[in-house]
Amino acid sequence: WSSFAQWATFARMWYLLDGKMQPPGKLAAMASVKLQGLHKPVYHQLSDCGDHVVIMNTRHIAFSGNKWEQKVYSSHTGYPGGFRQVTAAQLHQKDPVAIVKLAVYGMLPKTLHRRTMMQRLHLFPDEDIPKDILQNLVEELPQPRKAPRRLDEYTQEEVEAFPRVWSP
Amino acid sequence: MVFLTTRLWLRNRLTDRYWRVQEVLKHARLWINRITAASQEHGLQYPSLIANLIKCQVELNRKVLADLAIYEPKTFKSLAALAKRRRQEGFAAALGDGKEPEGIFSRVVQYH
Repeated sequence: WSSFAQWATFARMWYLLDGKMQPPGKLAAMASVKLQGLHKPVYHQLSDCGDHVVIMNTRHIAFSGNKWEQKVYSSHTGYPGGFRQVTAAQLHQKDPVAIVKLAVYGMLPKTLHRRTMMQRLHLFPDEDIPKDILQNLVEELPQPRKAPRRLDEYTQEEVEAFPRVWSP
Repeated sequence: MVFLTTRLWLRNRLTDRYWRVQEVLKHARLWINRITAASQEHGLQYPSLIANLIKCQVELNRKVLADLAIYEPKTFKSLAALAKRRRQEGFAAALGDGKEPEGIFSRVVQYH
């Protein structure tokens, strides 16, 4: 097997994922698969075959159900009386990147490689990404959820073409 | 008995055969992960691929499938296409209620 073929197989790829109106758990699942290298047939835990994943628009992720108020992120500062419990909405307000970051961190295997894989994950709250990362990007992954459109985003022809079930 | 570490205590509780089986399973789990990755590239899922290949009487083990996926990608692509086709024929046979003739790839060679 030639060295060029080996270099081409084990090259590190940069993937882009748009998080607008997407559930953060599904984004995190796709990201963790790509970060570990489980999407490659040449996967091995020790062969450092993970790729870079850039997730943008993390400020616009969409939890299903009432999770914005019900999901609780707990942590302890280590000092007595330091048990902090924050709802997902409050955490998102303070740091728009934290929800996706914690989701990916929990989905990666609990080994010492996890920290290196998290360093290969790049999260951005909005669409502005630094130029050197934009130049590295290779492929955009398809979004896990088909985002629904608001009524004012439909064209007038589509609104008229929609079948009328009843008339007042 | 005195066990100076938890590892030694555990080794006493479980049988030696358990550890030998775990060694073999490590390889099997790696092959399964690799085949899952390769079949996802072709739009199939691992259980679907394995089940449909068995139904087509293609008795390749996971070691061979993983090696094919790495070193012979075109062969693996044709195997995935075969499994997909057999899957579609299986659905047609289950949902069609016997009105249509059975599919081409669903024919099975009878060994006596």
